Amino acid sequence: MAQAQMHAAHTTSLTIPAGPVPRADRSLWKDAWRQLVANRLALGGLIVILIFLFAAIFGPLIAPYDFLEQNIKDALQPPSAAHWLGTDANGRDIFSRILYGARSAALVAITTTAISLLIGLFIGMAAGLFGGRTESWLMWMTDITMSIPVILLAMLINTALKYRATDYFDLMYTKTRNPFFLNTWWLDFLLVFVAIALISWPGYARLIRGQVKTTGKALYVEAARSIGASDRRIMTHHLAPNSLGPVIVAVTHGMGGAVLLESSLSFLGIGIQPPNASWGSMLSDSLSLWRSFPHLMIVPAVTIAIIQIAFIFLGDGMNDALNPRQRRR
Amino acid sequence: MLLYLLTRILRSALGILLILFVSYGMMFYGAGDPIKKMYLDKDDLAVDEVTLTALREKYGLDDPFLVQFTTYLGNLAQGNMGISIREQRPVADMVRATLPISVQMGLAATALATLIGIPLGILAARKHNSPLDYAIVAGVTAFNAVPVFVIGPLLILFFVSVLGIMKVPWGWDGLFSPKTILPLAALTMVPLPIVVRQTRSAILEVRGEDYIRTARAKGLSERDVAFRHMLRPVLLPVITSVGLVAITLINGAIFVELIFGIPGFGGLTLEGLLNVDYPVIMATVLIGALIVMVTNLAVELAYPLLDARVTKGH
Repeated sequence: MAQAQMHAAHTTSLTIPAGPVPRADRSLWKDAWRQLVANRLALGGLIVILIFLFAAIFGPLIAPYDFLEQNIKDALQPPSAAHWLGTDANGRDIFSRILYGARSAALVAITTTAISLLIGLFIGMAAGLFGGRTESWLMWMTDITMSIPVILLAMLINTALKYRATDYFDLMYTKTRNPFFLNTWWLDFLLVFVAIALISWPGYARLIRGQVKTTGKALYVEAARSIGASDRRIMTHHLAPNSLGPVIVAVTHGMGGAVLLESSLSFLGIGIQPPNASWGSMLSDSLSLWRSFPHLMIVPAVTIAIIQIAFIFLGDGMNDALNPRQRRR
Repeated sequence: MLLYLLTRILRSALGILLILFVSYGMMFYGAGDPIKKMYLDKDDLAVDEVTLTALREKYGLDDPFLVQFTTYLGNLAQGNMGISIREQRPVADMVRATLPISVQMGLAATALATLIGIPLGILAARKHNSPLDYAIVAGVTAFNAVPVFVIGPLLILFFVSVLGIMKVPWGWDGLFSPKTILPLAALTMVPLPIVVRQTRSAILEVRGEDYIRTARAKGLSERDVAFRHMLRPVLLPVITSVGLVAITLINGAIFVELIFGIPGFGGLTLEGLLNVDYPVIMATVLIGALIVMVTNLAVELAYPLLDARVTKGH
């Protein structure tokens, strides 16, 4: 230890006469940020996602109309100055509904990613730290969950929870007469949260197990320790950046996946139910009307496509910036 | 090898059993009573409790969970998947009527994706970092991102409304009718990006290997290098991606069949879940999981045949 300090002092005394360090001290995060912004596709993705989040948060302030306001006289209008993206079969402003749909999508994406990341952390860390039989059982469970087609499992969980939850709400209302239990709009969200979170964790669990098993034993950790780096320095400068990078990438892709799953479920009619706005249900509503009113189909379809492409570009760009060693060619 | 195969199959079988147990449990404790649900949908139909109880008894729905589940497993072992509560006919018949359609579509889509995807991947890799490469990669990324239930409607809109060269495809007239063009195109878009990406990156990886340089150095023609040395390692990731295809196709089939009105397995799945029709749900879960597990197993067994460096269990 003393030797290492002496050695460090020796080298610094040698570098000082060489003048100021020519290269500004760039941390890994700043470096990654630079690379991310330099990548045009990733930057475009980032901007689209920021607009999406902005619309989700401030949607009610931007929206020109109430997303529930029906005006039968103005039903099925093509895009015009009054209704930028036209109106739907109930005379609701489509632009406003897209903004509120962004709200549903962002709410689902953030909540489910957080929950499934927590489950994945718990299972992955347990598997990685305990090893042995615990690990093989947990990983077996992970593999099995992954072997059920995602949509099938999501529908199964949703169906299993829906009736029980609705019955429970009815019961609670008759017992308490609390109007809270009459309002079931957020019950849809709850069901979608649980269904998506329960199927998205295996990816995180696998990733985190791998991280736990490999990073602690990596050669650069040993090297840092051997030149006398403190535990804290090893944690903040070596372990955290190296294990956080892949997790951040996975979370980005995971959020895109959650947005996709929400619209898939809503498209099938078992996700966010009307009158709540969801891009998926807007798209499936258009299936009977698109021939005469193509804007009903184009608007939600293009919105979903743009957001999905943005998430993929951003995720890939982050992967290139944060995990330079496994950069895609 | 045989022992490994046996343990592997045993693990998969155990997995399927667990999936069945959990699904049945979710239906029993969660979804509740399919009989009540069936009559709730028809409000005007007055049904007294006695009839309901009789119906429940008929389908064995009044038994405790474990009794119901073991009865179900026993029947399943004899090849009896039960009787649909909603449709009043054997689930096996319903599966027999729908599954072949989806399997035909799935296989056709896989074949198309492989036939188009491998050449595209090779092309992109050979013109690495050229505009053509970027165009292929960007196109593939876009198609990978856009879900099939967005591609499907946009395809209809484009071909029927904008170009006006076909009627709205709806229904099923066999695989080789013009009606299947659009649904097949939409379904092919699901696995295509995976195949292209895998092929491209596999070739890029192999290209830099020492043994390729050696092969070139000893004067082999470009053709011999490609076919004798590059093909095998490239096949590996391609097979992996074909393995992935099973799961993506089941996911895709549900949407494609809904959009194009194809009476396939995806539709059966959706209907079963919406009606809380236990036997139908169990059958679709069982078959879905079986398809995925069998393809995974097949892919795993194909590896050592293609690459001697891969040994069992890795």
